[in-house]
Amino acid sequence: MTVIEKQTLIGKAIPKLDGPKKVTGEARYVQDIELPRMLFAKILRSSRVHARIVRIDTSAARKLPGVHAVITAADTPGVPLGHGKDNPPLKSDKVRSLRDEVAAVAAESEDIAERALSLIEVDYEDLPAVFDPNAALLDDAPVIHESHPDNIPFTYEYSQGDVGQGERDSDVVIEDKFTLHFVTHCCMGVSGAVAQFDADDNLTVYSQTQVPFLYKKDIAPIIDVPPEKIRVIQPSIGGGFGSKLDIYPFEPICILLARATRRPVKLTFTREEEFLASPTRQPVELTLRSGVKKDGTLTFRDVATVHDNGAYTSWGATTPFVIMQTISSLYRVPHCSYRTTVVYTNNPYSGSFRGFGNLQATFAVESHMDKLAEAVAMDPLAFRLQNAQQPGETTPQGMVFRSCGLAECLTTAAERSGFVEKHARYSRYGRGQNGQGGPVKRGVGIASLLHVGGGAKIYRSDGCGTMLKIDDYGHVTVLTGASEIGQGSETVIAQFVAEELGLPISSISVVNDDSELTPWDVGVHASRTTFIAGNSAQRAARKAREKLLAAAATKLELSAEELDLREGNVTRADTGEALLELPRLIRSLHFAKKSEVVMTAEYYEPPSVPQDKEFKGDVSASYAFGTQVVELEVDTETGVIRIVKVTAAHDVGRVINSLGIQGQIEGGVAMGMGYAISEHLLVDEGVIQNPCFRDYKLVTAPEMPEIDMHFIETLDPEGPSGAKGVGEAPAICIAAAVVNAVYNATGTRFDSLPLTPERVLRRLKNHA
Amino acid sequence: MTIEQYAAPETLDELTRLLSGGNALIFAGGTDVMPQTRAGARQFQPYLINASRVAGLRGISREGARIRIGALTTVTDILESNLLSEHVPVLVEAADCFASGQVRNTATLGGNLCNASPAADLAIPLLLVDAELELSSNDNGAPSRRVVPISDFFVAPGKTVLKPTEILTRVIFDAPPSGFRARFIKFGTRPALDIAVVSVGVAGATANMVFAITRVAFGAAAPTPIRGKKTEELLEGRLLVDDTILAASSAAQKDVSPISDVRGSAWYRRELVRTLTERALHDVA
Ligand SMILES: Cc1cc2nc3c(=O)[nH]c(=O)nc-3n(C[C@H](O)[C@H](O)[C@H](O)COP(=O)(O)OP(=O)(O)OC[C@H]3O[C@@H](n4cnc5c(N)ncnc54)[C@H](O)[C@@H]3O)c2cc1C
Repeated sequence: MTVIEKQTLIGKAIPKLDGPKKVTGEARYVQDIELPRMLFAKILRSSRVHARIVRIDTSAARKLPGVHAVITAADTPGVPLGHGKDNPPLKSDKVRSLRDEVAAVAAESEDIAERALSLIEVDYEDLPAVFDPNAALLDDAPVIHESHPDNIPFTYEYSQGDVGQGERDSDVVIEDKFTLHFVTHCCMGVSGAVAQFDADDNLTVYSQTQVPFLYKKDIAPIIDVPPEKIRVIQPSIGGGFGSKLDIYPFEPICILLARATRRPVKLTFTREEEFLASPTRQPVELTLRSGVKKDGTLTFRDVATVHDNGAYTSWGATTPFVIMQTISSLYRVPHCSYRTTVVYTNNPYSGSFRGFGNLQATFAVESHMDKLAEAVAMDPLAFRLQNAQQPGETTPQGMVFRSCGLAECLTTAAERSGFVEKHARYSRYGRGQNGQGGPVKRGVGIASLLHVGGGAKIYRSDGCGTMLKIDDYGHVTVLTGASEIGQGSETVIAQFVAEELGLPISSISVVNDDSELTPWDVGVHASRTTFIAGNSAQRAARKAREKLLAAAATKLELSAEELDLREGNVTRADTGEALLELPRLIRSLHFAKKSEVVMTAEYYEPPSVPQDKEFKGDVSASYAFGTQVVELEVDTETGVIRIVKVTAAHDVGRVINSLGIQGQIEGGVAMGMGYAISEHLLVDEGVIQNPCFRDYKLVTAPEMPEIDMHFIETLDPEGPSGAKGVGEAPAICIAAAVVNAVYNATGTRFDSLPLTPERVLRRLKNHA
Repeated sequence: MTIEQYAAPETLDELTRLLSGGNALIFAGGTDVMPQTRAGARQFQPYLINASRVAGLRGISREGARIRIGALTTVTDILESNLLSEHVPVLVEAADCFASGQVRNTATLGGNLCNASPAADLAIPLLLVDAELELSSNDNGAPSRRVVPISDFFVAPGKTVLKPTEILTRVIFDAPPSGFRARFIKFGTRPALDIAVVSVGVAGATANMVFAITRVAFGAAAPTPIRGKKTEELLEGRLLVDDTILAASSAAQKDVSPISDVRGSAWYRRELVRTLTERALHDVA
């Protein structure tokens, strides 16, 4: 008997399904959308950081030929947007930052719209401004929002155990302050939208949102259109990284202009505007006290942070949710307390950004781990292993680690990079002893991370819907709520479906860009899509599979258990022998007396729970871990850091698409490196000094180090085929590994970023 | 300012006649003109003159001891020139760390010099070989020419001795003697697509069996690309031993007068001038 081996798609390297379209320019981005009679919009932004608006005169702009509408706050419903509902799309009483939207124009061309902006007269009365969050906390500080006279829109407090007890148990206590800077997403596709109303007042928005269903609900009151009359179409998105999780004023402005003109309106940013008016990663000042016993056991952590919220509240204000997790649960710490004050300033405001507070938290925690290890004379690896979380653990914050590969990540990254030996050797050299003469010093650093890997239940549901149909030629259409923002979800979803139905990946189309067709989903965030949408798609496909096998069993007079679906056929389960072509089976269902279409639906809701009022609870269905070792060179005469090699070991649960994970790790390393050594949005008194790629230094191809990747497969019990999320993880811990490596190389420890050549040289030369 | 008239003359004569009318802006590769006008840092003039079709202004040639490079020669042309690789590899080195492939394909030598950025990369090697710049104009109907040494060409950031009616046509210099050695180091914070924070060039030749430095130049360390006169004096005729190199790199700091901007502070630029001078001298020693 010949047995045909079953082929699997899980774990294979599958090129992204949307790749060819993007590479050839066929993909349509919002910039490519052109509708008949379309107008072009431009926004007039504030020229002051903090001022009362005394008068706006738009009469000259309105008279300019080609201008169809000029709107100010008076032409809007006046409902504010954003997480704090403190940000009106157009400002009426005052402006609070340089990006503030004051008026907007729709015209027949961008040029005309721009000329019209220059004709709008705005009189301001300057108000005292504040840029340093600590200064904004003082009693006599200027008030940014009258609703918050103390400039504090949010505070967070968390505690577990008894920090006093922890302190008494400690042999060594260390306290440090870490300061994190402004960086921004730098999506290659700049922001934009196209809005159109039809004769029945139905609105279609071509939007870059990564949360299309929440978007409808959130934007409805701001534009005064009921959510059920809004259709969201998502053209290809040129990068999200969290930036498209919130609604920013430009979208309601575009929609309000479309309504005012009764014509389609397109609004796209210039690159400079993208730098000036998109969200940033939140700058955080983090004071961390930690204790340890002589034997290397962590005793407590006490953390206070001040977040620069900027002038308005977007998701940046909620990053403490994630910061707390790393502080309480990356390693076992019995006693922990954490306080955050989120402070309004006249700076640009912060949004959601890959890692969501975790880059800042991990930078501090993993810098401290190295200091604590040194204080008790342990090597950084052994110290981390001793305190690492283990599978099966429930942390004091209530997270349940059903699978946990932290120890394996640590040992794998360390062994593959030769960390322990190099760390000992370089630190001797770095301190000026034997060898390593010359100005260029080498160092290695290690850091680990914890991040949600199975969604995050911050809404009542963390679910995702799938609808699936198979046509009479065996082609499958999967309608998923999950948005593709370049992360590769479309490909992974197709893989899960193809796997269940025994079809080649080319037989699957994924529809994910039109809210009129697709079922509900929370959105792309929290590294949740492979896990949540993947589970949903897999289950929908399983239902279809059962239906097909049952029908085949009847037709073939066998039992369903004896059958399988492979390579487009119904086969024998044991031998793989093909018995019936799948399209024939489907056609026979269509044309039967009691005819039937093969169509299934699934709504997957993960078994996670929302946190309670004390921020405790098993908020994710799975947790991801990882360790990165960085080897680098520091030129002590120029301050240049060259990252030579990154060894990355990530607990991914199970590899679904190895190319996809590789892409996430490479991209994450590039992004994390930028945060560590080169990216810095320079904000001076609220004014961005470097709104261009010439002076905002993204990491470029020649600087990319060798990356040695290791996927640790812990087979998560709840994950689809065992997988967990890995979207954010690779960017999170590299900055900490870099400062640890710089310390290893030079004996100088940095507590702020980025380690640009000049900042490094200043510290090495003790030049203020 | 909106452009009223655009011309793409095919002869130098035609071009200089157009220039003599005034109110004109020359456009070569456009890699400075376009970003600067878009950013509002520079205004178009009523006349935009595209110089790129003028015959005879692109190319690299040698006549006897003299090497001539047309002003419209692109950075890529320089990078791929065998003649330059053989005689002045330092100019090719500068072209090699210039911008990116796309920009090099259109950016011209003339544009780089006439834009007069203190960070202009090609100016440094040309200062090392005492290049002369040929400036052409139309003097009441008759073609006219003058030659200016490169060290006199730059006046201030964005300003040169070029008159509004003149065009830079050629860059000319003596092929360096055998035994000529030079080095160009551009310091940017990343290896590609970066404007120099500071750049340093050194060149020397062997006389009486002794290799000694004759020229030193700095970019982004003063209002214009400059020669390092104090450093040159210190090094004149001296053997490049460690002490001399150290003394020279301190002298270099006296030659420069850097500013602070988003790319680096004056303090940092001075530090770099010292370190890079030391490294460049070690490289050629
Ligand atoms: C992304 C990018 C990267 C860059 N990187 C570098 C770099 O690494 N190093 C560097 O030095 N520069 C760099 N530049 C600047 C620019 O590319 C160079 O200065 C280039 O050589 C300019 O040449 P062009 O032909 O494009 O000049 P244009 O933009 O056409 O002209 C520049 C100026 O010179 C004038 N001009 C041009 N030709 C003549 C002539 N023959 N006679 C008289 N006037 C003339 C023009 O009127 C204008 O004022 C970069 C620019 C960009 C956009």
